[in-house]
Amino acid sequence: MSATSDNEPVLRVDGLSVDFRTSSGPVTAVSGVSFAVREREIVAVVGESGSGKSTTAMAVLQLLAPNAHVSGGIQLLGRDVLALRGEQLRRVRGKDAAMIFQEPMTALNPLHTIGAQLVEAMRNHATPQERRSRDFRAEAVRLLHRVGIPEPERRLRQYPHQLSGGQRQRVVIAVALSCRPRLIIADEPTTALDVTVQAGILDLLRDIRDTDGTAVLLITHNMGVVADIADRVLVMRHGELVEQAGTERLFAAPSHDYTRALLAAVPKLGDRDRATDSGVDGDTKASEVDTGNASSEPDTGAAPAALELTDVVVSYATGRGTGLRALDRVSLRLAPGEMLGLVGESGSGKSTLGQCALGLITPDAGEVRVFGTPLRRARGRAGRALRGQLGVVFQDPASSLDPRMTVAQCVAEPLLVHRVRDRAERARRVAELLDAVELGSAVHHRFPHELSGGQRQRVSLARALVLRPKLLVADEPTSALDVSVQATVLDVLTRLHRELGFACLFISHDLAVVDAVCDRVAVMRAGRIIEDGPRRDILTNAGQEYTRQLVMSSPVPDPVRQRRRRGDRAAGTTTGAAR
Amino acid sequence: MWRVVLRRLLLAAVVVFLVSLITFLLLHLLPGGPARGVLGPEATPQQIEQFNHDHGFDQPVHVQYWDYLTRLLRGDLGASYTLNSPVGTLLAQRLPRTLLLTVASTLLAILVALPLGVAQAVRRNSRFDYLATGLTFVLYATPVFFLSLLLIIVFTQLWPVFPAQAAQGESIGELLSQPRSLVLPVIAGAGATVAAFSRYARASVVDNLAEDYVRTARAKGTPERVILWRHVWRNSLTSVVAMLGYYVPVIFGGALVVESMFNYPGVGLLLWNAARTSDYPVLLGVVLVIAVATVVGSLLADLAQLLIDPRVRTAQSSRAKGAGRS
Repeated sequence: MSATSDNEPVLRVDGLSVDFRTSSGPVTAVSGVSFAVREREIVAVVGESGSGKSTTAMAVLQLLAPNAHVSGGIQLLGRDVLALRGEQLRRVRGKDAAMIFQEPMTALNPLHTIGAQLVEAMRNHATPQERRSRDFRAEAVRLLHRVGIPEPERRLRQYPHQLSGGQRQRVVIAVALSCRPRLIIADEPTTALDVTVQAGILDLLRDIRDTDGTAVLLITHNMGVVADIADRVLVMRHGELVEQAGTERLFAAPSHDYTRALLAAVPKLGDRDRATDSGVDGDTKASEVDTGNASSEPDTGAAPAALELTDVVVSYATGRGTGLRALDRVSLRLAPGEMLGLVGESGSGKSTLGQCALGLITPDAGEVRVFGTPLRRARGRAGRALRGQLGVVFQDPASSLDPRMTVAQCVAEPLLVHRVRDRAERARRVAELLDAVELGSAVHHRFPHELSGGQRQRVSLARALVLRPKLLVADEPTSALDVSVQATVLDVLTRLHRELGFACLFISHDLAVVDAVCDRVAVMRAGRIIEDGPRRDILTNAGQEYTRQLVMSSPVPDPVRQRRRRGDRAAGTTTGAAR
Repeated sequence: MWRVVLRRLLLAAVVVFLVSLITFLLLHLLPGGPARGVLGPEATPQQIEQFNHDHGFDQPVHVQYWDYLTRLLRGDLGASYTLNSPVGTLLAQRLPRTLLLTVASTLLAILVALPLGVAQAVRRNSRFDYLATGLTFVLYATPVFFLSLLLIIVFTQLWPVFPAQAAQGESIGELLSQPRSLVLPVIAGAGATVAAFSRYARASVVDNLAEDYVRTARAKGTPERVILWRHVWRNSLTSVVAMLGYYVPVIFGGALVVESMFNYPGVGLLLWNAARTSDYPVLLGVVLVIAVATVVGSLLADLAQLLIDPRVRTAQSSRAKGAGRS
């Protein structure tokens, strides 16, 4: 390990530019980025997709694709990384700086045991004598213990697929720690994980910094994560560094317009209450009053519920022979015009519930009624009429729109299916809906791939609403989108909900998003609805321990509040730390 | 795991039964029947009627099939109409010879194709890669009979280093004692397979090189050579092995053509002659052998997967456990 003096940063990047040579000419991914990371410092790089943040991270260890052209200077422990080639470069990778990646499911080799992959990382940087004498397995056990994996001896012999996502990410971190690097580059290390698992991983990274003095360069799009862990923040946009500042200063007084816009777009858990309490946000208040009216009426029992599930059971056959119960006697009632947020972590059964509501999955037991009609019995003409009342928006707009249909054709298709024969009428409805989702006539004849993610999701929304459904199922409609784009899509959705008065089952893993748009929240865990009630009660004063943990684990994009919440969480519970 | 094997074997029995049924029915649909082919153009109607009666062709088709099936279950494949010998005996003589040719061709194909595919993947889009791709496509597009003829012309006429006729003899030992006479048939049998295998190996390695775990290995400072062989190659092998199993019938079919081109006394030559003389029992017997080879090939491929891939291993064993419980 080469020694660095106190004022010499672990990593110094000077005027870094990266161009990718493509068949249609060079594309600039990063241009003129300069920053430094010092010992014991956690520096976050934030930005939306395409901002160049991951490219910057990959450039540090020269892990970019061969068609990347990198210029500028990268000094790692005082050494010019860009001048290194072959064996010299290999010696730096994992030893001076190590990486943690986004997808723990694919970052490990599926055919090698956890132990083999950990030992390999150590052997890569061991001298021939060490290779003979060192007890790598004992060190591997210690590393797994360090990153909080229970039963490390047994885990060493297991393969990646036998571990949960959070444990795999801990293994990836163990691999990164194995040669005691001075710098850890973490590229969206918690994006693929549930919030409670994310909280554990962030705690681990903080602990590594505190005890080993390791510097961390953290790439993320999540402002909550930044507020939780970073000392300093770099904001990137279109390959350029637009602002860098200490975390608290950046959140309190962002100096660049883009940073301000980015922060404003992030939904914050609990913000709506503040706004409505002080009566500042008239718009949100109006929507609440509006939908409040709509949802209070049917409780008298006069009109049938928009959606009613009674003791619904769905089980999947698994490799283990015993069926996995995706839904375990779930009952849920959604009033006409109500916006219900369904939250839960991955595998909790929330998407399965949504598919049951649409009749895409037939339950093994129990009943699903839509506007009083059991879906099981809705066949033929009546079934078609009933399905005309349902709309759906899926998570990934890129794959839920037919790539060979123009935007107008996509939106018009439900009309064709439901026999709206008048061409002029169809055109009028399509134009009306695309207008409602704030897409101008210019996009009508374009294809989905020519649109941005947010535009595509608005097309999906228009398609879902073109038949004027009375029930909309939105399954993670904004999870694949950048925050600023998410904000527009959510705005459009809440406005249309207010204007058209449909009931909406809003499925999301993001509590802040649910908080921003829903009136009522149901929490799912392991196939059951464990809690259901008015939004404010659930998110601020939950009855269930699990819900409280979920709320506590979602980081708030406000460093001061987040520090307090973290303290509360640490004081309140230590369970789930090993997940 | 044994439970899995047992289940696959049962399934294999069903497949072989269905193949026998379909082949039997298809032969029955052919106009004229075997009598004319066997007895020749000079045969009288009385002789033909006598032949049909002797071999049960005057019975309804389901009775004929039932007779065939019951004899088959006792291990009796019937007797050849033309070769004066039971089909079982003919196959027992000739199958090992065809297996020799098939196994040798497959080994040659693997030895050439897999290293070629890996080398192409590592240096993809280089001049070497494009050249190899071009050559393998030409080879892939060349019919086996044409490749055989080319080999015969080049290596026996223009540059006479190998004999044009394949090794002859009763036993495998005898055949192996004439290695020079086996060279051309083995190469001809390997030709198209080399092309297919190398394309497959290349695609598989290219895919795996782009995987996230390769980036992880690189980021922890693993030497490129180790990444290629310890990480990428083993992962690529899972799909290559799967394809190998499904290629067994293709290679077998190729061997049949090669045998008739080089006059090699194996199953292929037997099939060729049986088809020309309407020797139904022999035809049925050979088709059943090919069906068994296909089923066994894919079973072996699946078992190899089990050995290579821990994910398949746990999925299989837990599924077997579940089946035992229910």
